[in-house]
Amino acid sequence: MITLNVNGKTVQANVTDKDTPLLWVLRDVLGLTGTKYGCGIEVCGACTVLIDGQREHSCVFDVGSAIGKQIVTIEGLSPAGTQNHPVQQAWIRNQVPQCGYCQPGMIMACVAGMKAGHHGSELLSEMKHLCVCGTYQRIRDTVANL
Amino acid sequence: MAHGTLRTPAGEEKKHRIGRRGFIASALGGLSVAFTLPETGRVLGLKAAQGPDPGTLANAYVHIGTDGSITLMFGGAEMGQGIKTGLAQILAEELMVDWEQVTVQQSPVNPTVSYLTGGSTAVSGRYNNLRTAGAAARELLIQAAMTATGDRDRNHYSAAHAVVTYTGPNGGPQSWPYGSLAARAASEAVPADLRLTAPANFRIIGKPVPRVDTPSKVDGSAKFGIDTWFPDMVFAAIRHAPAIGGTLAGTPAKPEGAIAVVPCKASDNRGSVKAGSINAVAVVASNTWLAKKLADKLSVKWNPPPSPASVDSAQIAAQAASLLAGGAALVAEPAAPAGQTPAGYASVIEPQVANALGTPALDATYTLPFLSHATMEVMSCSVRLTWADSSKTLVTRCEIWAPTQAANWVAGTAAALINAGQATPISPSAIEVTTTYLGGGLGRKIEQDYISQAIQVALAVKLPVKLTWMREEDFSHDNYRPTAAVRVQATLGGGGVTAWWLRNVSQSILGQRGWLPPGAVDSQAVEGAVHLPYTMGIRLTEWVPLPAGIPVGFWRSVGSSINTFAVECAIDELAQHAGADPFAFRQNLLSDPRHIAVLQAADQMSLWRLSLPKGHAWGLAMSEWNGTIVCQVAEISQPAAGSLTVHRVACALDCGQAINPDQVAAQMEGGIVHGLNAALWGQVTFTAGKADQKNYSRYRMIRVKEMPQVTVQLVPSGNPPSGIGEAAVPPIAPALANAYSRLRGSRVRSLPFFPGATMGGL
Ligand code: FES
Ligand code: FES
Repeated sequence: MITLNVNGKTVQANVTDKDTPLLWVLRDVLGLTGTKYGCGIEVCGACTVLIDGQREHSCVFDVGSAIGKQIVTIEGLSPAGTQNHPVQQAWIRNQVPQCGYCQPGMIMACVAGMKAGHHGSELLSEMKHLCVCGTYQRIRDTVANL
Repeated sequence: MAHGTLRTPAGEEKKHRIGRRGFIASALGGLSVAFTLPETGRVLGLKAAQGPDPGTLANAYVHIGTDGSITLMFGGAEMGQGIKTGLAQILAEELMVDWEQVTVQQSPVNPTVSYLTGGSTAVSGRYNNLRTAGAAARELLIQAAMTATGDRDRNHYSAAHAVVTYTGPNGGPQSWPYGSLAARAASEAVPADLRLTAPANFRIIGKPVPRVDTPSKVDGSAKFGIDTWFPDMVFAAIRHAPAIGGTLAGTPAKPEGAIAVVPCKASDNRGSVKAGSINAVAVVASNTWLAKKLADKLSVKWNPPPSPASVDSAQIAAQAASLLAGGAALVAEPAAPAGQTPAGYASVIEPQVANALGTPALDATYTLPFLSHATMEVMSCSVRLTWADSSKTLVTRCEIWAPTQAANWVAGTAAALINAGQATPISPSAIEVTTTYLGGGLGRKIEQDYISQAIQVALAVKLPVKLTWMREEDFSHDNYRPTAAVRVQATLGGGGVTAWWLRNVSQSILGQRGWLPPGAVDSQAVEGAVHLPYTMGIRLTEWVPLPAGIPVGFWRSVGSSINTFAVECAIDELAQHAGADPFAFRQNLLSDPRHIAVLQAADQMSLWRLSLPKGHAWGLAMSEWNGTIVCQVAEISQPAAGSLTVHRVACALDCGQAINPDQVAAQMEGGIVHGLNAALWGQVTFTAGKADQKNYSRYRMIRVKEMPQVTVQLVPSGNPPSGIGEAAVPPIAPALANAYSRLRGSRVRSLPFFPGATMGGL
């Protein structure tokens, strides 16, 4: 059993192997399925979360290293009852998602970039995630104005 | 019973609405109009019922609750194409309610009706039925109002904003919200002739309304198949025989830390993969990662495929080349005269065409590789069984959550597997399939392989289970877009084409499934090469089956993804030979006004091509897919060897009545990306059955900074809606190749442009 801080809450996760990637602890042990699996090798970005405010690829981030840190997933971006995060609002305004599968990772990366003070083209240059549906044009148009 | 399937995990579609509203509403009673949404536009049944009765459901219904709620339920798959939004728009239009008043939910599946979502029919195939259903519900509500007033003159009633208004003599003007009429409406009869709204009066159809699923897709609440989760579930990872067609040689021991190791049978015949052969093992553990790690470490012995050459891409390419030169062909077009087979007719017509060709101006061979679907969401399926007895021998209920394009096939897969193990068959209504959101379908998720494996594991471990394929398994065990070699010979004369002979060598998608009668031409193999809009002197289209063992399947735009490349490159090459402008050359061959209008729109959209910077070039291609005509013009440059920059793509299309123009644009943007990925880099090669590309790192795709500027223009035609999901894919590869030829003076006739490309990390 390990103790994690996820989306502002302290949670117990039943994992024995601290090398387990955070992705699978979030998804399978904690039932937080908003963070997606796409490649497992840091190529697609679908698994992006914030750890102490930094973007991290949870498919290769072992859960042991996340202990004691603030983990934020897509579910924690705008908790129930709160307004959507400005990035989420912009995403809705521009009708970005198609299948939607890559979108939580995209949004988390964008939020991380903005937290680091990046905007417009600088922010856009960090948006390298894969979207097989090809929503890139709308992502570009959306991020350019953030 | 079946309503239970609505609760988890598909859930509510519109955020900020009362949870499970339709579910609550149906418990309250009200009006339900049940109807079928078939592949074609046929209305199979239409009836009113007091509250939805899942046992008698067709495959969709409109429900109007006594609380005023309006819910559309259906069993199809939302895989990014905006189907839920499109269907709701059509319904709301005829029902005379406001857009905001409609909620869309997944419906439980009746295994006896079809839920196939593919062939871009998602919205177009359902247009008429949905309009009729909406109009029927509206008229039933009006009938209820008539019963209230006693005045049965329809002209005294109108419906708008979910309110029926009466302006006749009986008791003066009155109005009723739909909810107050719903209960009574259920006992009224649907009038024989239903008035549908004239397109000129559409309020919602044709408007770019926001998608109903967007909020849930930006806050992480949208549940994809892979997201199914219960606290007590176990997790399975799959490990297939490394080579396609390989089988298990001995059941491995259960490793420490695993809950179980389950050998899995192949669900279907696919080339060298034989139905019923054990071609995979699943490892079950307390989380997917652990299951994967244990599966990787498992010491397994596999039998090699029976014919390694038949699953080796270099050998398959050599075989295709030899069949192209000398294989026996089947004639696809013109149709063989009565009494002649497609094979027999070849020997009759080939000499005539050869004669007309003389020395052809063009004799070109185009080759295309195997492609993976590589859907962003890997294959995954969750199963929960319930047993009659504590020893868990008799399955009495089976719940399945799957990202599937064919929910009724899933139910069939489950019934067969369950009934094989018990004397008392499970009741068909006890198999409940919930279609989750699909993290991309692209034609991959009609297959039953991953579904069957999940059910086999659930039966073996007798626990609720989620089975997930790692990406490496997904790339290595797809039902691939077939490889193909296409030869086009053509002769010019009188400003046009006097003779044309196209010969396609490729595997048969239908044949692998046992769906192709002996001696028949596989329609999928020649799609995009037949029914061409171009007038030509004499035209012959042939197919030569390629008997390779790679499993092949439906990949977004199927055969057109192959043949449109050959046809549109060949047309461009002919224009070059003729010294003609490619727009003018095509227009000269066209007679259909819709095609001409789309070509002309693309011409006008791409006037920038007349003043391109040095080192840039443009290329054009067009195609018709499922009634939708698309013409694309691409601008490219080549800043460095081994890459291309695609600057912009102008895309004109006629898809008949657009339900949601913004979603049409989205499908064009996305389809262009899909086609670009394939044209530039897409390729799966096999060494004795083992895929050489096992993850995105060796299956390059564009990233956001490589996205061209896409502009989309709808060309109205007054036709009913036609498919938009796949139509953007076929033209982009030939448009690129045609631009490349203008840029470099040399032709790319073999895709991808840049084989062996890799993709770095983030
Ligand atoms: S799943 Fe982590 S980067 Fe792809
Ligand atoms: S929206 Fe489907 S993969 Fe990006």
